[in-house]
Amino acid sequence: MKFSYNWLKEYLSKIPKPEKLAEILTMHSFEMKEVIKSKGDFILDIDVLPNRGPDCFSHIGIAREIAAITNSKFQTPKYKIQATRYKTKDFIKVEVKNREACPRYTARVITGIKVSPSPKWIQERLIVCGLRPINNIVDITNYVMLETGQPLHAFDGEKLESKKIIVRFAKKGEKITTLDREKYDLDKDILVIADLKEPLAIAGIKGGVSAEIDKKTNTIVVESANFNQKVIRRGSQKLNLKTDASLRFEHGIDPNVTETAVNRVAHLIQKIVGGKIAQGLVDFYAKKTLPKMIRLNLDYVERLLGIRISPREIKNILRKLDFRLSEVGSPKVNEVLVEIPTWRLDISLPEDLIEEIGRVSGYNKLPAVFPQISLIPSKRNFASFWQELAKTSLREAGFSEVYNYSFIGEKLSKILGYKDKDLIEIENPVSEEQKYLRPSLTPNLLKNVRDNLRYFDEMRIFELGKIYRKSKMKEKRMLTGLVAKKEAVSESEAFSQLKGTIDSLLNKMGISNIWYDAYQPTPKGSRISIWQSKKTAEIKIDHTKIGFLGGISSKILTELKIKVSIFLFDLDFELLSRLSSEEHEFRPLSRYPSAVRDLAVLVPRGVKVVQVLNKINTAGGFLVRDVDLFDMYEGEEMPEGKKNLAFHIIYQAENHTLSSKEIEGLHNKIIKNLEEELGWQVRK
Amino acid sequence: MASLKSLKKQAQEEITKTRDLKELDTIFKKYLGKRGKITQILSKIKNLRKEKRVKVGKEANLLKNFIKQKIETRAKKMRDISASAEETGVIDITIPGKRPLFGHLHPLTQVQKKVEEIFQSLGFSVVEGPEIETEWYNFDALNIPKDHPARDAWNTLWLKDSELLLRTQTSPVQIRYMEKNNPPLRIIAPGRTFRHEATDASHEVNFYQVEGLMIDKKVSAANFRAIIQEFFQRFFSESAEASREGGGKQIKIRIRPSYFPFTEPSFEVDMSCLNCQGKGCSACSQTGWMEMMGAGMVHPNVYKAVGLNPKNWQGFAFGMGLDRLAMMKYKINDIRLFYSGDLRFLQQF
Repeated sequence: MKFSYNWLKEYLSKIPKPEKLAEILTMHSFEMKEVIKSKGDFILDIDVLPNRGPDCFSHIGIAREIAAITNSKFQTPKYKIQATRYKTKDFIKVEVKNREACPRYTARVITGIKVSPSPKWIQERLIVCGLRPINNIVDITNYVMLETGQPLHAFDGEKLESKKIIVRFAKKGEKITTLDREKYDLDKDILVIADLKEPLAIAGIKGGVSAEIDKKTNTIVVESANFNQKVIRRGSQKLNLKTDASLRFEHGIDPNVTETAVNRVAHLIQKIVGGKIAQGLVDFYAKKTLPKMIRLNLDYVERLLGIRISPREIKNILRKLDFRLSEVGSPKVNEVLVEIPTWRLDISLPEDLIEEIGRVSGYNKLPAVFPQISLIPSKRNFASFWQELAKTSLREAGFSEVYNYSFIGEKLSKILGYKDKDLIEIENPVSEEQKYLRPSLTPNLLKNVRDNLRYFDEMRIFELGKIYRKSKMKEKRMLTGLVAKKEAVSESEAFSQLKGTIDSLLNKMGISNIWYDAYQPTPKGSRISIWQSKKTAEIKIDHTKIGFLGGISSKILTELKIKVSIFLFDLDFELLSRLSSEEHEFRPLSRYPSAVRDLAVLVPRGVKVVQVLNKINTAGGFLVRDVDLFDMYEGEEMPEGKKNLAFHIIYQAENHTLSSKEIEGLHNKIIKNLEEELGWQVRK
Repeated sequence: MASLKSLKKQAQEEITKTRDLKELDTIFKKYLGKRGKITQILSKIKNLRKEKRVKVGKEANLLKNFIKQKIETRAKKMRDISASAEETGVIDITIPGKRPLFGHLHPLTQVQKKVEEIFQSLGFSVVEGPEIETEWYNFDALNIPKDHPARDAWNTLWLKDSELLLRTQTSPVQIRYMEKNNPPLRIIAPGRTFRHEATDASHEVNFYQVEGLMIDKKVSAANFRAIIQEFFQRFFSESAEASREGGGKQIKIRIRPSYFPFTEPSFEVDMSCLNCQGKGCSACSQTGWMEMMGAGMVHPNVYKAVGLNPKNWQGFAFGMGLDRLAMMKYKINDIRLFYSGDLRFLQQF
């Protein structure tokens, strides 16, 4: 908010230079962002903290603050009102329908005024504070708002139907045209100032044209009211209309200021414009706001801040801020009773007072003291432990980590075949591309591939992050990664490499019983699958489904304009963390040698490697320590429809050296078992 | 026997000129092979007179042995040379190294890890909370009432057809943790947060924060200053290089008033500008200070919201942006790079 340096100076016995003032206010009250020179004055841009709006959205408030910090004297202007013998209440009646929405309504009447431009000094101050001069009456009400923080409004007294002012909520269908010629539809949530006929102003927000001041105006009614901050905020948000008045009301204002402000307006109008002030106020004030009393324990000040400030200094600071102090109880209890001025709406607890003491004294005096507390060790966070382990393992496997937005747009969601019912939609998205929360990490990873292909021929990327599902509005952490390559490798090779990566990753997480099941497209069939169903496996740990591994549908890749093939894995990381284990037991090194025999078998192409492995293991029993597929060939030299699988079989016993006879026996048994299958032939 | 003499000379010259075993073999065949020159001479001597036969035969045999020996010597030398060449063989050490394929961890992952390490060493536990939140945890329990302008500081993204929102700060984790754990407690809660914000070089619609909370019987603002100063010192100034040189440069902080509904008193914490060491430069808008975090002493209403008696406990809470920490640490000038997935950026970390 903008303030005039010269204006503040009027209230103070002394004031630091603008740059020094900026530093002082920043360290003790509010950040002052800028000081701009302006025609013999300085515009001070002060970032008043929101809880201090009630007293510091005004020059008087800021001046009081400066006085307390710099130890200078603070004085508000003194004036006297010369009233006529006519009484205000004979001119106008006020009826407040809802006293919660309008705790106080104060008005004065001035007759015999003449509307013209305001004097130069008022215009200049308004301009420094960013307001536009309009005419003498409006400018004076704005001037007093900037001075006291109390918004005011002047109506043309002769335009009020039946000389009555009613404060009420609008009725459905009512409309108003505001002073800037904008039309608004009102409803029951909008508080208005009305006469018997129609709304004259949107209460606390903006005046209307029907009782507007114009060149012919002779009698004015000056309104100085207090409105409920929530009512004004709701109305302002609903109408999407923010004004200098609504800003102040929604931060709250001391109801006791209305009177000072309206008197100040009357005084200035009489002094500058002339005219006669009617005697007395019209004042609806249902329940007077009285000062709060807070008991402050001076030891608590030291305990909370961690610095000793002498009782004398504490009291001194509070008094400078216009708090009244009285001692309570016996002298043993180190307490004072503090009376809070009603303009300090922000203060209601001892902690609030401690903040005042701390900041005025200066937080920079706070020493850095390590706490003296019991040694309670920090708890280990297993979720982040597994995350870190997974990330590091993937990095070692050549994968780079990306962070994507938590959102996807409609276009991308359509391409991937998501239905509205699966997606959580954002009520107020920042852009079209961020309309939904991401239901999977895959869409944005595919976008990463498309973007990076301009610079890279090959990439391995992964993301560990949350996805969001509409059912139960739940979020879940997933681990998704992919390999994209421009250069053609066989798909089976690409699959096998990624599968090996997952095996190693899961082994590092202490998971060993991993297996890969045939992919079953969703039975509904309605949903477009992102996977190529014949090149995809479902990853399982025992009976738990933990994710998928496979090729991304070429239809999706084409639509995304990605010209490389992509193999991707998508793992439920929360399940994985639950299945993972840190337990790991050493297996004694066998003292007896192992023997390796190779075996090549010709099988029909449809036969899966796992079928052969199972046969070998079943026939070989526990003496087969390991079986390792080292070659798979389905090239031209093979008989029609066959492929060749070659294995190293490692034989080892724990308690003796296997004799060649034993090994031959087992090996022959395996061969025999394999050849029992139709069309399987062991090559000798 | 001039012809034998000249043959000897010729053979000797030819042997010396050979460069490899193959050439040597050719020479062998030329003189000593089945149809070699010496072999032919020897096969013809039976036609000569007896004395002549004896003399020529003797000389020819001598020559044959001579050539044989010369060839063997030469061959041995050649083998020696090639063997020693293998042993001491030269590697061009200027050839570029072949790197194993390592990936890269995101800079925010690395910064978060460092933050966690520092606070864990100070006894703080790392905890987490959900990103989809209720109004209660995100606002009400934090003493941010509905229809209050204080809420304007948090531009919220709301979820359609529900009362839920995306958390605007990590502070709701404070509430969730205190509901389940009694003080004394020390936690930090890093995580993703969201704001309805137009994106630019320093604003993003999603970003990372780390929340801190320490509550005990008499934790004070002065304690907060010590903890947070230690954190910044370690985060920005502690490094292997600095420790070898006997400690990094001193990081200064300053505390000034602020307002957060969930703390009282509330602080803004500035750190001396890393770029200019507080002299004032364009990075710190000439102030010499960088805004780093909001903080304060936990508000009594927050204790009440989680069922604790504010009279029994006191402590501090703080919140800061991880993206901002990472940007300052690595001198990154655009927050959007973090969420771009651009490998040219990510591979630098």
